[in-house]
Amino acid sequence: MKKIILSLIIMVLTYQLNLYSQDAREIAEKASDIIEFESMEMTSMLKIFDNKGNVRERKVVVATKKFGEATKTMIRFISPPDVKGTAMLIFDYEDKPDDMWIFLPSLRRTRRIVSSEKGKSFMGSEFTNADMSKPDLNDFTFKIVGSAEADNNECWKVESVCKDKTIEEENGFSKKIAFIGKNNYLTHKVEYYDPEGELHKIMTIGNYRKQSNGKYFAFLMKIENLHNQRKSSMIVEQFQLGSKLSEDNFSTISLEK
Amino acid sequence: MKVNFRKYRFWFISIPVLITLLMLLPVRNAKINPDLMEYFPDEIEAKLNIEKIEETFGKNDPVIIIFEAGDILNNNTLERIQKINSAFLKTQKFTDVISLFESKYIRGEEGMMLVDPVIIKIPENEREREDVRSEIRNNPLVYKLLVSEDFKYTLMLVNPMENLSDNEIFEIINKVLSDHKGTERILLSGLPFLRYEIQQKAIRDLLILLPSGLIIMILFLYLSFREMRGVLLPFSVVLMSMISSMGIMPLLHYDLSIIAVLIPIMMIAIANNYGVHIVARYQELNALYPDWDMNRIVSEVMSLLKMPLILTALTTIIGLLGLAAQIMVPAKQMGLVSSAGIGLALLLSLYFIPSVMTGLKKGRIRKTFKGHKESVIDHFLMWAGKMATEKPYAVITGFLLVLIFLGTGISRLHVSINLEKMMPASHPLRISTNIANTNFGGTKYISVLFEGDILDPDLMHTMDNFETNLKKLPEVGNVSSLATVIKTISRALHDPGDKYYDVIPENRDAIAQYIEFYNMSGDPDDFEKIVDFNYTKAILNVQFKANDIKEFNKVASYIKDLISNSEYCTLMAGQSLMEKEMSESIVRGQINSLIFAVFAIALLLWIIFRSLTAGLLGTIPLLFALVCNFGLMGWTGFDLDIATSLLSSIAIGIGVDYIIHFFWRFKYDLKNGNNYKTAVINTLTTTGRGISINAFSVIIGFSVLLFSGLTILKTFGLLIIFSLLVCLLCALLLVPAICMIFKPEFLQK
Repeated sequence: MKKIILSLIIMVLTYQLNLYSQDAREIAEKASDIIEFESMEMTSMLKIFDNKGNVRERKVVVATKKFGEATKTMIRFISPPDVKGTAMLIFDYEDKPDDMWIFLPSLRRTRRIVSSEKGKSFMGSEFTNADMSKPDLNDFTFKIVGSAEADNNECWKVESVCKDKTIEEENGFSKKIAFIGKNNYLTHKVEYYDPEGELHKIMTIGNYRKQSNGKYFAFLMKIENLHNQRKSSMIVEQFQLGSKLSEDNFSTISLEK
Repeated sequence: MKVNFRKYRFWFISIPVLITLLMLLPVRNAKINPDLMEYFPDEIEAKLNIEKIEETFGKNDPVIIIFEAGDILNNNTLERIQKINSAFLKTQKFTDVISLFESKYIRGEEGMMLVDPVIIKIPENEREREDVRSEIRNNPLVYKLLVSEDFKYTLMLVNPMENLSDNEIFEIINKVLSDHKGTERILLSGLPFLRYEIQQKAIRDLLILLPSGLIIMILFLYLSFREMRGVLLPFSVVLMSMISSMGIMPLLHYDLSIIAVLIPIMMIAIANNYGVHIVARYQELNALYPDWDMNRIVSEVMSLLKMPLILTALTTIIGLLGLAAQIMVPAKQMGLVSSAGIGLALLLSLYFIPSVMTGLKKGRIRKTFKGHKESVIDHFLMWAGKMATEKPYAVITGFLLVLIFLGTGISRLHVSINLEKMMPASHPLRISTNIANTNFGGTKYISVLFEGDILDPDLMHTMDNFETNLKKLPEVGNVSSLATVIKTISRALHDPGDKYYDVIPENRDAIAQYIEFYNMSGDPDDFEKIVDFNYTKAILNVQFKANDIKEFNKVASYIKDLISNSEYCTLMAGQSLMEKEMSESIVRGQINSLIFAVFAIALLLWIIFRSLTAGLLGTIPLLFALVCNFGLMGWTGFDLDIATSLLSSIAIGIGVDYIIHFFWRFKYDLKNGNNYKTAVINTLTTTGRGISINAFSVIIGFSVLLFSGLTILKTFGLLIIFSLLVCLLCALLLVPAICMIFKPEFLQK
């Protein structure tokens, strides 16, 4: 009898624990799904601010489409004039490291970028390349660490901790806390912590617009680096669900066109 | 006009004491400011230029940490450096840390451009270590800049946040370094370290040298006079004028510079002069006229000494005021404050001392005055009297020979441009400077500011040409700028042999895209020290060595030429230019102060003795002393620097006193009917004694400087003692000899 009760208690406890961490991961998955688009096209303005308020602007056209196991993204700069024509091509694989290339029009030359540089800055902004693509949820352990309000929404605070140092380096942070809305699983704010455990950057995401496939796209992303007081923002000017482009458009050859 | 000291005794004593007590209050607020840059007035071009660059690029005032090991790429050393690096970043008190773990290595590999810190992972075996070594050799942003050619030394630079005081900075640095001990030798360098050390040593000097000086002075006075009043009277004047002058500084909102440490020492040395003469004369009269009461003695003493004391104080003050003509703030301050102190000492000697004396009983009679001349000084004075009167030509010839011999040293005189020489040769800062000069391309930096469209290929080529041209000079160790980076990126993007490899692109878009490309792999703030955010301003940094002003000017004027031929360069700036400015103003200031002092003293003598001959005769020994001083500096290699440039004005201001006392007494003796020979001997054996004690007390007062922790103050002490000895010898030998030969009229009036 005692044994049965003991094992029942243990089962319940483990179930609760499972439920607890499952809950966190589940939330994270839902938050990731709701903004996932297999294909889309958009025009965005990236603004990079230094700590004195000076600004640099980059206007880009982005096209993303999923082909089989890979999600391919093409980014073209359309302004300012000195970087017009520069383009980036990213092949995002589920189970192997990404491939990235950049085309420099003045050199008429394409070069590869090391994929482990996801943690590196995106075009000189405070966003990282990792911020621009979908993270692999298996790289993190999840935990709910509380509730808070963000952008007038009641949110779960879901903490994602990088499982090892390599993943930390790939992502550029040791852990992050995402403020995920309880009613719609939209991420309103993310706090990034550096390898020493100090709060490093804060990203706010807003102006979510529901698309025809039931998912949401954020038209505004802002990030602030607390260490050096630099900020960056990404504002979407045009958005279209789906892409009519063929796979050929997402190749290194079409980069050079 | 005879002052009735007895009647106004109460006032003459209580007022000074009260003022002194009041002055103790501001003394507590006195602060030492070791920031050599603040010693410049704000309008100096070199200072304004540095500020212009700091406006855009922030303050760049790093502490340099040098690690020394057999091979700095070994595991333990790299681990230690890495831990120290992280520890500094974690404190969040530094705007940036530069080391092998932070600086970037840009290269091309398998069609990719990679940008990573020079050391991402500490090499675990010999092969990995050698890979890193060759990577470093191929990295122009690091090789010989952060790592020495022989891999024995590596640098870490930490740039403290603006609001931190030097004390706070070093508290943090010392803690981090002591938390991570190891076998490598660590040396600190950099301007903040120099400032910190100067401040520590200046404080130590004040705490140790001042009391020592006071004690030595007390001993000396006692040995000279052998009675308490001979000690206490001059001593109280010294104490009061010292406290008041130290109190004036904070009241006038002057921060104490390192030179200001000299002010209290000068008070100890000089302020007792006047009291010494009074006590000596008192002892003389006390022995000669045993039936006179104190009042009568005091009256006689003061009436005889009043004029010479006022005159000697005036000449000293003139010498000091000459310093106020210098542009360097500490020299000005020193001039004004010490003049005030001497003026106060004079007043106290004229009113306070006699007032106190009238309240004392007559002291014992000093036997030696009765004709038994026993001491060394007395023997010397007798000998001097003999030489001057019997062999005046020999004396003059002797002095001339010394003049020629020492005077030739002047051609070897150097002006210091190396601030670190303020520290003794064994000090870590001197050692680290030597290491930097030998292994890292030098310790002098000049930055050239380029303005315009930085991405313009023409501008970029100009920067590149600067680099190529400057590297031709053997003194130049390193030149770096955004052009260096663009070429490094081009080597990463293209293969060797390709026409675009290791060149600056010909079109602007290409340059812009290189940078855009870099931005994908580097950190956004990697270039914030060499180019501004919107690419309108960029800096080219030149690192070089210079041991003296000649070598410095060679590099600086080469840069200036390059700048004037280019429309893009607007200015050049750097710490080292301020140092050069300091040297040049030291020389100018030296010349100006001396010209002022010599003329003013000659004029004063002319007025006092109503004779041009007096003016000329009085300045001969001073000029002699100056030539000997500078000549000695040339021969011994002592540089002319911010401290030694002050001492000549001070020395001649004091030295002329001995001559004035001599003339005064000599005239008196001649008037009493004695012939020249007797007058000379009498003067030397009476006033000569006072002059000698006076001179020695000043010398002993300054001798404490020989124990200073700062080399420049030690040198100051040595040279001023030398100058004063020369002035003394002139007053006791040369001037009497000249008087014997030429028998100038003014002495007979």
